[in-house]
Amino acid sequence: MENKIKFYRKKLEITQEGLAKVVGVTRQTINALEQGRYNPSLELASNITKALKKKYIEELFKL
Amino acid sequence: MEKKKQIISKYFFAFICIISGAIIEYLKVGRDFLGFSSVGTWLIYIGFVMLAVISLQAISNKKRIVDERMKLLAFKASRITFVLVIFAAFVIMIIDGIKTITIPYSLFMSYLIAYLMLVYVIAYKIIERYN
Repeated sequence: MENKIKFYRKKLEITQEGLAKVVGVTRQTINALEQGRYNPSLELASNITKALKKKYIEELFKL
Repeated sequence: MEKKKQIISKYFFAFICIISGAIIEYLKVGRDFLGFSSVGTWLIYIGFVMLAVISLQAISNKKRIVDERMKLLAFKASRITFVLVIFAAFVIMIIDGIKTITIPYSLFMSYLIAYLMLVYVIAYKIIERYN
């Protein structure tokens, strides 16, 4: 699944570690998400969307 | 509070292991317990290892995170371990058919546990690296 986590994270100047702490996952999971190696659950996708100050999940994730 | 309860219950379990091991050793029951020798000594040993691990966990302030990806990896690693155990059992069965294997039960169990742990850890690390 394509996503723009890295783009919006860098825009907000948040580190992977920082984002991981906010959404309650490990840094490795954020890295795997950014690399497209892992598809998040709806809950995690929603949390990341909120953490990156976006309104809709579709802004971050593309099927 | 919840963490404190968990730690207390873990300590309790470790002490139960040590005490039951000491009793079994004292009564010399463990010398030949269902074909498995020195149960008491092993229970004491496991109890002390548990105490060390629990104490380290309690001292460490680092919050342990178990997220959904780690759960998925653990599930996949368990599945691979299960398949490889079946495969190993099949191979052992064939080898035993060709040439009878005779090893003590305690040795067999220690091999089995070591094999399970090794396969699980390796499978987990590989999946974590490439998935």
